Amino acid sequence: MERRDFLQVTATAAGGLLVLGALPRTMHGLAGGSLGAFVEIGPDGVVTIAAKNPEIGQGVKTALPLIVAEELDVAWERVRVVQADLDRQYGDQYAGGSDAVSENFDRLRQAGATARHLLVAAAAARWGVAADSCRTELGTVIHEATGRRLGYGGLAAEAARLPVPEKVPLKPRSAYRLLGTRIRATDQPAIASGRVTYGIDARAPGMLRASVLHPPFGHRLASLDSAAAERIAGVKRVVRIDPLPSPLHLRQGVAVVADSTWAAIQAVRALQATWERAPGPPVDSEAIRDAMHQAVLRPGEPVRNEGDVDRALGGAARVVEATYELPLLAHVPMEPINCLADVRPGRAEVWGPMQDPDGVRDLTARVTGIPITAITVHMTRAGGGFGRRLMSDYGAEAAYLSKAMGAPVQVLWTREEDLSQDFFRPCAVHRLRAGLDASGRVIAWDHHLANPSRYAYAENGQPPAVSELYPDDFPAGFIPDFRLAYTHIPCGIPGGAWRSTLHSSNAFAVQSFVDELARATGKDPLTLRLELLGPPRRLDYKGHGGPVFDTGRLAGVLRLVAEKAGWGSPLATGRARGLAGHFTFGSYAAHVVEIARAPEGFRVERVVVAVDCGLVVNRSGAEAQVEGAVLEGISAALYGRVTVEGGRVRETNFDRYRLTRMREAPRVETWFVSSEAPPSGLGEPPLPPVAPALASAVFALTGERPRRLPLITGPA
Amino acid sequence: MPPIVLQVNGARRRLDVPPDTPLLWALRDALGLTGAKYGCGAGFCGACTVHLGGAAVRSCQVPVRAAVGKPITTIEGLSSDGSHPVQRAWVEEDVAQCGYCQPGQIMAAAALLAATPKPTDAGIDDAMSGNLCRCGTYQRIRAAIHRAADGAA
Repeated sequence: MERRDFLQVTATAAGGLLVLGALPRTMHGLAGGSLGAFVEIGPDGVVTIAAKNPEIGQGVKTALPLIVAEELDVAWERVRVVQADLDRQYGDQYAGGSDAVSENFDRLRQAGATARHLLVAAAAARWGVAADSCRTELGTVIHEATGRRLGYGGLAAEAARLPVPEKVPLKPRSAYRLLGTRIRATDQPAIASGRVTYGIDARAPGMLRASVLHPPFGHRLASLDSAAAERIAGVKRVVRIDPLPSPLHLRQGVAVVADSTWAAIQAVRALQATWERAPGPPVDSEAIRDAMHQAVLRPGEPVRNEGDVDRALGGAARVVEATYELPLLAHVPMEPINCLADVRPGRAEVWGPMQDPDGVRDLTARVTGIPITAITVHMTRAGGGFGRRLMSDYGAEAAYLSKAMGAPVQVLWTREEDLSQDFFRPCAVHRLRAGLDASGRVIAWDHHLANPSRYAYAENGQPPAVSELYPDDFPAGFIPDFRLAYTHIPCGIPGGAWRSTLHSSNAFAVQSFVDELARATGKDPLTLRLELLGPPRRLDYKGHGGPVFDTGRLAGVLRLVAEKAGWGSPLATGRARGLAGHFTFGSYAAHVVEIARAPEGFRVERVVVAVDCGLVVNRSGAEAQVEGAVLEGISAALYGRVTVEGGRVRETNFDRYRLTRMREAPRVETWFVSSEAPPSGLGEPPLPPVAPALASAVFALTGERPRRLPLITGPA
Repeated sequence: MPPIVLQVNGARRRLDVPPDTPLLWALRDALGLTGAKYGCGAGFCGACTVHLGGAAVRSCQVPVRAAVGKPITTIEGLSSDGSHPVQRAWVEEDVAQCGYCQPGQIMAAAALLAATPKPTDAGIDDAMSGNLCRCGTYQRIRAAIHRAADGAA
């Protein structure tokens, strides 16, 4: 066992028990030995559990401590959860890749079980009995033979002095009291009272407020007249922000620092800035669109190539072809981009909504010259993330401004700036061709994706893999003559990770095309999918959520959702259903979307979802993630589109960047497969099937095949 | 510039801000009441919803001078201890994901129920469709409003 895998125990100042747990290396490649505190038990028996990862609405501030509490065997009502700061002792601390539960499950169980083991040992020593003659129940150690009982609080100090075992046995699932039940999210009462501190609510003594303006994409500042801005009462200074080489890290900008948010916002509006085009790739979404459409007609870079696709297509009884197009999408977390930094000589402190606090610290160090060991990062609760806050440019900006002002500065982007300066889900054009034999069997598959790869924005400009078409996705491995090709389209509009990355795009194309093939061959869309999947197999999967793609589990969720949604049963006139399923981030999700004809065309009435994510840790939180992914998928499919002209985003607020509202929200019904598998991802997997299932329902209702998203354009 | 005097959560509050300052920023920056949230600054999202004279308003669209003389209630003043039926229902239904829009949702729902104690689904749609939730909690919001309505009956 490596050193970093040990659990350490130390006595706290208050005489409580502190269990230090070990976690794997950080995403930034820091060396091992990252040890962190998870459990503290006070003499009063109050159990404090650290929530290690940033909470962005995905429920990890509840789910991760719940895993510790299960093994510790305490009443959840007596647990106090505290948000950890960024600290190497906790190991990885980020919100991304849907892997918080899966990556931490074993070690958090060990942390809880080790604490429980030591408490039992302390009680056994005090009673002079064998530890294995004792058991625990909800915060109490019990010696069954004599009926003696001791609460954890009274044992904590002794337990903290005992030697720590390397590894302790874990509970069997059959003994779980908490995991798998419905647990209310930790902060619900504070949220309902308006007393939670988000990044925008963070305060520091003497802090100033900043608003900021950035150049349109592909442009730089040519001239600036800030006289009118500086005349606004409360304005302290106009600060030009020099960019770092990568737009991932810090963009050029002009900030107004003031003593109130409103003064700063008004003053930015009063800035007279002119921009000039900088050399670089196109920044017009129409030009990029044209380039993508042309590219898919030519051969692309091979991503996967099996058999001889051209020969198979040439010899096929029938070839079906379709081209799908998806737009740029924005993240628009409800809490706009903001961060508070207090940079002092030799040290800095940062508060903000983050998905990658390591990135915030690294960039703070970079723009201030302060070593990371002298930078404290506090992760506030975040008003959403969806991938936007994996970029830490806004943290760099706050540090830059605080350094310039010599005072704490909170920078807040307006919604217009948030939409104008996002790292968008890249747009895409997918061209698919399939060869069918005389019996309607799919014998050849050819898929070419052209898009501006988000990986092209990697820091060194030499990304190891540019393709956003993932080589092992369904139906790779099921069709003998099979080819995936990719073309990167140079583009000056920043791309980023958006909930489920490009699975949101790729699954739309693949699952829509499977539906088209079902129509072309007269097969039921469920039947065709199950035929393609064939008998259960475990395939190698190198992408998100690998290393295994268990095709039986994908077939399982397809069958389950079909059963629960009444797939195949007759529908009333004016109603229709669509089906889609996808594997990603380790989990399997299948959806049936039901729509009804309405004055506006159609409305989404019901979405039935079957998910196999292994063990469900918190059923209420898990259902929330599914409900959220479905609504996000519907917003994107119906309305989501960013267009850029001359580097300027045209959809700069919610009037033009539409999101689903209450009156459009369907009923979402979630079914989890009862699974013996360990927990896998959930924040992202239920998103990719939404759009293709919806588009297939639209086809079933109207006979017109939607091949371009969004389905509805125009202002709200 | 004379100070502005507001009636906020039952208390008289004096503040030195320009009279055209949106109520949202007066509450958040000058009075330290951060429950109302900035979401769009244009009245599209409802994250900044407070009660002005008993009605739900977008505080980002109300200049402070227009709020003088009318009682203002923010999420912090809806109850002193989170015991308002809407707040309790929100907790019971485990509504919030990120939670950022929820103070605005709760204030909108509280205004709805004050006017219409037993709203229909269509009534809820009408009253609540001005409040965006990016996390997709609408289904639970609907359930929480019905729960609060039933509990209040």
